Amino acid sequence: MAKKRDRSKKPAAAPPPVERPVKAAKPDKAIEVVPLPSEQPAFWFGYDVAWAKVWLFRVLVFGLLAIDALLQIRHAPRYGAGGFNVAQLPLLHDLGPSRVMYEVAQLVSAYLFILAAFGVATRVVVPCVTAIYAWLYFSSQLDSYQHHYLVALVLGIACFVPWQRPADATPSTPVRSWALRLILVQLAVLYLWAAISKMDPAWLDGRTLSGQITGPLRAVVDSSVGIKAAARFTIVVELALAFTVWMRPAWFIALPLGIGFHVSVLLSGLEIGLFAWLMLAMYVLVVPDRVWVRIAELRPLRGVLDRLRTDSDLVTGISVVLGSALAVALVAVACRFENALTVAVALGLVPIIIVVGRRLRGRRGGAIAGVAHLAGILVWLAVDRTTTVAVDYYRFWGGSQRRLGNAETAEVAYRKMISIAPGEGSGHYQLGRLLLKRGEEQAGLDELRKAQAIETARARAYVAEAQYLAGKGRGPEAIEKAREATYAEPDSKEANDLLTALTGQKREPGAGTPGSDDDSDQR
Amino acid sequence: MLSFLRWLGQTPHLGTLLSTWRGRAIALFLIAQLLLPILYFTRKDPHDERFAWRMFSPMRMARCLPTATIDGKPFNLATEFHEAWLEIASRGRFTVIEAMGARLCAKNPGSDVRLWIDCTYIDREPRSYGSYNICNVPEL
Repeated sequence: MAKKRDRSKKPAAAPPPVERPVKAAKPDKAIEVVPLPSEQPAFWFGYDVAWAKVWLFRVLVFGLLAIDALLQIRHAPRYGAGGFNVAQLPLLHDLGPSRVMYEVAQLVSAYLFILAAFGVATRVVVPCVTAIYAWLYFSSQLDSYQHHYLVALVLGIACFVPWQRPADATPSTPVRSWALRLILVQLAVLYLWAAISKMDPAWLDGRTLSGQITGPLRAVVDSSVGIKAAARFTIVVELALAFTVWMRPAWFIALPLGIGFHVSVLLSGLEIGLFAWLMLAMYVLVVPDRVWVRIAELRPLRGVLDRLRTDSDLVTGISVVLGSALAVALVAVACRFENALTVAVALGLVPIIIVVGRRLRGRRGGAIAGVAHLAGILVWLAVDRTTTVAVDYYRFWGGSQRRLGNAETAEVAYRKMISIAPGEGSGHYQLGRLLLKRGEEQAGLDELRKAQAIETARARAYVAEAQYLAGKGRGPEAIEKAREATYAEPDSKEANDLLTALTGQKREPGAGTPGSDDDSDQR
Repeated sequence: MLSFLRWLGQTPHLGTLLSTWRGRAIALFLIAQLLLPILYFTRKDPHDERFAWRMFSPMRMARCLPTATIDGKPFNLATEFHEAWLEIASRGRFTVIEAMGARLCAKNPGSDVRLWIDCTYIDREPRSYGSYNICNVPEL
């Protein structure tokens, strides 16, 4: 898609002749100048970027998006819950994903992002993952933050970037791409409108910012310039970025401002996931090419990566077969995401299809496909094992189904949660309550006691047992449990209130904390 | 309008840009990106800041309390809608609240379904939306 250059088919029918010659864009000194093939605006069609920069942008942005896709899996239980959906675009109401579809789509997206990061079949992979992302974003308002919209747009533009390594490319080989320029201009549009939206008295006097930032940045702001000045400075920075981020000569302004701005967003405590990191990754484009060229020339892995581009059928065969087999084995043994094994088996076909596709086009090699495949699956495992996403997925699934009155589905979710995280008290606690409600006394109490043993400093499992016993007329046992609840969590309002109610004795009202369910994904 | 576009096409740089499909796509994309946020100011729902790049604007601080009754009896929305939808409703997004109303009307044919939000803002007076039978008037 990106490779095909559009040459004007009807020069005679083109608009009136250009009055003055179009100046070629001033490229970075580190890369060679390639003349523009025809009289096209150099701003767009003469935008050259060093291959090292394209490579780094590709790796960082697609790598971050892969991680982000996996982190989104904890939101899957929202989708299709209660059979309700409102799409971003009315036509797409009925195309909203279900929980399973969303989860599988994010697993596949993460995998495809890793393939793209490795530069594997990008002309197919990037449009595919863009379509999946756009589907998930536009078919439901559930995750409708501005950054999801930005990613959808950037991915759409990214379909037209020549991501694959040009033949015999060195780090300084120029890659001409109007799409990379468009990504920068898109960022400028974002900054411009973000600044305009803040030109409001409630922002200018610091009220809005004051209600939004916490974290370490808040303390720094309060003890230095003050919140009002910080609010005004934010507008100035956004406006400055709007006018500089897309202009190579102004990058010396945009680079420190933009990086400083997004680092401060990272420190501000705003819950925007990986967005600030993604924006920082975008600034790879704003760093002068010569910096990346210089670093790339020092790159110690270059030899290894070059070897992966071998034409050897043996190496390619080993890479693809071993990569696919190892990926399935690893997922079977260690991955806790629901449906991961099925998806991994299906995705095992991808490197084979890529290699066969190359063969059909008369090209050999493709060993990198097997390596990228394995890397894609390893990223699943890394995110699964270093975060609580898989556990949260079942926790939120159980919680939402419980609240919507689907006790049986909630029970399935909690049992699955316990199977992957037996040391989490929440699963035992919720399952215990569900079982008691269904009349399975012994099983329910067993689960509550497991929760008590795990959550030694929380009252809720004791309270649940005490309430159940009290409801069964077993007063002394209930009082004993309520007492244990207050020992476990002396500040628990729920425990203290229950003990008061059961004993009839008035107790000192404390600044107790109310009991809470932790299976809501709106925590 | 046409003559304006023709004039645009005749300006030197735009002329060359618009002479290729890529150039036309870029121009269309940019015009859309520059103009779409303006639609925010024409929307009846001030809380809906989608597609407008209004990150962390004062409106983001609006808090709305969605409430429903069916035939005069209070209805707990949490038993029908996932909390993520309730969170969006608490930001006052009309399209979601209207869809909730439509769902309740479909589930309770012939009933009087009232759904409203009481919103507070940091830069304006509190305001309520709705409170009539949303089955008769399906919009806030």
